[in-house]
Amino acid sequence: MQRDTLVSFEGVVKRFGTYLAVQKMDFEIRKGEFLAIMGSSGCGKTTTLRMLAGLEAPSEGVIRLSGKPINHLPTWSRDTPMVWQSLALFPFLNVRENVEFALKMRGIGKSERRKRAEHWLDRMQITEFADRNIAQLSGGQRQRVALARSLVVEPEILLLDEPLSALDAALKVRMQSVLKNLQRETGITFVYVTHSQSEAFSMADRVVIMSRGKIEQIGTPQEIYRTPRTRFVADFLGSSNIFSGKVTASGAGSVDLETASGPLRLTTNAAPPPGSAATLTVLDTKMRLSLTRPANSTNVVPVRVIGEEFVGATATLYLETAQGQEIRVQKGHDELAELPLEIGQDLFTYWAAEDGHLVAEA
Amino acid sequence: MRRHVSLYGLTFSLPLLIWQLLFFVFPLAFLVALSFWTVKNFAMRPDFDTINWVTMFSRKVFWQAYGTTFALAAAAATLTSVLAFPCSYAIAFKLSDTARRWLVFLMVIPFFTSYLVRVYSWQIFLSDAGIINVMLGQIGLGPYSMLNSIGATMIGYLTLSFPLVVLLQLFSLVFIDRTLIEAAHNMRCGRLRTVFAVVIPSGRVGLVIAALFCFILSFGDFVSPIYLGGGDPTTLSILITDTTKSGQQWPRAAVIALTMIATLMVVAFAAVKFAYKGRTK
Repeated sequence: MQRDTLVSFEGVVKRFGTYLAVQKMDFEIRKGEFLAIMGSSGCGKTTTLRMLAGLEAPSEGVIRLSGKPINHLPTWSRDTPMVWQSLALFPFLNVRENVEFALKMRGIGKSERRKRAEHWLDRMQITEFADRNIAQLSGGQRQRVALARSLVVEPEILLLDEPLSALDAALKVRMQSVLKNLQRETGITFVYVTHSQSEAFSMADRVVIMSRGKIEQIGTPQEIYRTPRTRFVADFLGSSNIFSGKVTASGAGSVDLETASGPLRLTTNAAPPPGSAATLTVLDTKMRLSLTRPANSTNVVPVRVIGEEFVGATATLYLETAQGQEIRVQKGHDELAELPLEIGQDLFTYWAAEDGHLVAEA
Repeated sequence: MRRHVSLYGLTFSLPLLIWQLLFFVFPLAFLVALSFWTVKNFAMRPDFDTINWVTMFSRKVFWQAYGTTFALAAAAATLTSVLAFPCSYAIAFKLSDTARRWLVFLMVIPFFTSYLVRVYSWQIFLSDAGIINVMLGQIGLGPYSMLNSIGATMIGYLTLSFPLVVLLQLFSLVFIDRTLIEAAHNMRCGRLRTVFAVVIPSGRVGLVIAALFCFILSFGDFVSPIYLGGGDPTTLSILITDTTKSGQQWPRAAVIALTMIATLMVVAFAAVKFAYKGRTK
């Protein structure tokens, strides 16, 4: 589904003194999508969001909203409401007054204000707390007030800066579905900054992965999960095993690598020149196990069991190659029950050539 | 539940307790007792007579002085708060940490010199042949009579309380969550409007306490109304000295002093209640 562009970042750079917070950044936010910007702390994701909100000015480049450059607009002249990590609710106002605040600032009359606030209080299921102080609300209720306060102006875009990070795990999951449903029902573009992979992948239509001020990959959660573009992304997601080596042969839809774990082959359209360095990733769910060396597989690595971790529906098996590289394999319990799983057991792990992916080195 | 008084806790609180008893509770009790004494032939006699209360409260001059003092202190609290706010706002929000530390230090410097000395130096500035009038004379203006006026008294009150009010306001403003201000800006609330819609409500407790301190200091001040205001109009502090001087009327002075204490208590209580209004329901 191709949507129109709502926001575009064109060569945007942000420096704080000599520190480069965001490096030359080009990307687009499409109308009506749920976009997550993910990365570890200090990667520039919050700075990116704050530039879009008008709370920081880009050092270089242009940010466009609906095609118009907005660099020079102060935050109070943009319609880019934001939900803060701390929520930033006004403690001196009650719930209703908080929700009405943005409408009051737009000079909307009292009765109209009340009506629109009432609608959002109802929609966020916080009508019964309307006259309470912020201090009297629970974390989840505050969350809803913050959302109602930002959405009451019915904006085209909503910016969220790790709004769920203060909640406990169960509430977090519940709020994720509240957010996702809200986004789907209203059609408002959500830009959601988070360091949590589960939040980003469960809610977003597209995910931007950032590292050290740079965009590493943009794509749907499936794309990113299945085919991480760079070694950083594969490492960051932690769901792939990574093998580095040298290209020995390339062409006709497949590439052969010589790695520390032996010769490996993968199916790809890319044709890196023989002799060049290359990195191969394989999802931990795609790795298979066998007690005997499988006869007709091109990718076989002898390993030893070093640990097992119960995850829930699956278990993670930790293996080690002869060279000391750790390999993680994700398996169902039924399948694992058929294998002797003492620590120190020698096994072979293998995978199909189609399950390997080449990633960029940097 | 019974609370045990530990020896450890007592060691630290006892000196303060003794201090409070010696220099606050006992004098206050004595003041109350004194207000019922009588004066015969310029000599005080222990007694229990309400005559001092009746005399003072039926005198027009007392109520005039009361009204003047209250109005002056209220005006000083308002004026000082209004003048101090832009200053503390700028220090809290517009300056770097280093500059802020320097300005806080500068705000403390006035406390190094006696208030009396500072008021005397104002006389040198404000008198008819003072520095300001001499300078105005150079360009052919004046002389203006500035000393012995309500304006000069106000300058004295400002001298007394301005640095303290700035510091108290500042401490409430620096603790305001900056994201609240950003959030207000983000919701189309411009800079000036944010000051009234977010900064002042957020810092309300500190702002009210600062104004209260200014009121308390000005209400009881003797130096500014006498040396800059020239004793006219008469304030309660001046009335106290006049009363003690005229015929050893210490009991009547005690009545004035107790009325002042009661007023300050009511004002302080009301102010604190207003400051915390709506905080806990």
